[in-house]
Amino acid sequence: MIDETDELIQRAARSLRALPATNPLATARIIAAVRARRAQAPSRLALVAQWMREPTLSAASAAFLAAAALVVGFVARGAVRTVDGSSPDIATTSEMPLPTGTAPALPTANTRGEGVAVAFLFEARNAKSVAVVGDFNNWDATSSPMKRFGPDGPWTTTVRAKPGRHVYAFLVDGSTVVADPRAPRARDLDYGGDASVLMVTTP
Amino acid sequence: MTSFRRLTFAVVLLAVATAARAAAQDYSRLALIRDDVTRNVVRGLLGGAFSRGVPIDPLMAKALEGVAKKASTTAIRDAMNALEKRMRKAQDLLGKDASVDELAAGADALSVGVSEKTLTRMRRAAPRRSIALELGVLTELVARGVGPSKASEMVLSLMARNATGVQLTALSNDVQGDVAAGLNPEVALTLRGKGIMSLLPPPPSTNTLQPRPK
Amino acid sequence: MSEIDPAVALRAKRGDEQAFIEIVQFYYPRCLRFARNMLGSDQDAEEAVQDAFVRVHDSFGRFREDARFDPWLFRILANRCRTLLARSRRHRSLIEYGEVPLSAAAPAEDFGADWAEEVRMVLETLPAEQREAFLLRHVEDLSYEDIAAVTGVGLSALRMRVKRACDALRARLTEVEQQNDR
Repeated sequence: MIDETDELIQRAARSLRALPATNPLATARIIAAVRARRAQAPSRLALVAQWMREPTLSAASAAFLAAAALVVGFVARGAVRTVDGSSPDIATTSEMPLPTGTAPALPTANTRGEGVAVAFLFEARNAKSVAVVGDFNNWDATSSPMKRFGPDGPWTTTVRAKPGRHVYAFLVDGSTVVADPRAPRARDLDYGGDASVLMVTTP
Repeated sequence: MTSFRRLTFAVVLLAVATAARAAAQDYSRLALIRDDVTRNVVRGLLGGAFSRGVPIDPLMAKALEGVAKKASTTAIRDAMNALEKRMRKAQDLLGKDASVDELAAGADALSVGVSEKTLTRMRRAAPRRSIALELGVLTELVARGVGPSKASEMVLSLMARNATGVQLTALSNDVQGDVAAGLNPEVALTLRGKGIMSLLPPPPSTNTLQPRPK
Repeated sequence: MSEIDPAVALRAKRGDEQAFIEIVQFYYPRCLRFARNMLGSDQDAEEAVQDAFVRVHDSFGRFREDARFDPWLFRILANRCRTLLARSRRHRSLIEYGEVPLSAAAPAEDFGADWAEEVRMVLETLPAEQREAFLLRHVEDLSYEDIAAVTGVGLSALRMRVKRACDALRARLTEVEQQNDR
């Protein structure tokens, strides 16, 4: 029997193999949904019986997912978080861009440095350079430059931030500070400029 | 597997703590301030803070934020002074062992009107782990329009019920979204807070539940 | 591919929530990868993975204590993906505006975004069962025996599906290479 291992196929497979980082809110939703089911059914036997009768999610689980979806909907406008998983297969580049997801949160053993990896996304077609600046990188434009996908794509980067509330913005073309249109505004009482809020959660 | 995970968390916490302490005394970023006058003023303020036992890192960040936003030297000086004052107050309230992140978060909370008493109560509710996240959530709720005392009561109640970091973060995100959609902030808080309470597991007598995470 | 410690699966089966959480965190990236490659949409993928884990939890009673967890999990996940595929009516392009291309994380820089896009486009045009077999074999690195356990399909039929997928990929990618060389 033929087993396809020629170079082209291998390269194709490699391009698909990059592991996405865990979306912490997604894993949290799974746990919440599971807890909800535990709370409802006193015994696992009952759950199994239920699953066999109705192979789709129960109304309560659906409600939880819907509630969670609300959270997702709101937070999807903000910066995206990811947490590096502990699997050795994860791509090691720190500039790993991520799909629009949701809020930060959960743990997974992140031993590669301090804080939680957070991905940022910003649309700026005509910009020549964009950087993330915030309290997690001392507002230093040189520490987190962003990269773009193709000539028209969004700018992205990944930064490490410790659990808690953070304030940040994007520095466009080295000089203009722009708040993240997808995130809640942070009123700046000290300097007046607008910035954005990032909530990073913790194990 | 579980003990490996505990070990890993311990390593992570240690790494975070160590790095935080080291960064707290990092002057090298002064070089990022190109204007000589501003840089000297900032250096002086940092030196003063250092001598008073206040971690410099958040102050440096505050200065650099001003630089990024093209603020005047005076504005930067005022901002740093105000922050240092709040951080010293946070130090009094949160204790000598409070981490830099806690102090910075405590200072933020104070700046939006959270009471000193609340910080004391939060510390008491969680004496041995960092409450930087809880402080951040509280700050954010108030920033979205919830009255400081209502927000404080909610966060303290959730802490007492062992709400997770994820849940607390979700609370502030939810409330933010609700407010953005036009809902009254305190109504939103009550609603979302109730939602989380209903998800909180029963007291630890029955299950092997996860201990309250940091 | 590493598998989770069987003791953890066992504890989870017996109701240990902490163990279940470990399982979710251990497998989530891999499950999401498979679901994304299968479904082409992040949102659908997350839904499929979430459904799968909830179902894993609910049907742990049926998981035999001497069985391996990996194939069992992937069977549930593959089922979820198939269900979602059947439900989705409108054709969805893999690279939607606003979604960051998933391929960007590929470590080897010589690919470039175009290459990965081409691969995804070919995948998208494949019949679902060929795509599934290809992904399980060459991306998730399952043995044919495991894939048989996951899909319930015989070994020779599986090999044929993988071969067809590879042929299609090879044909398109060769074309792409030739275009790039010009």
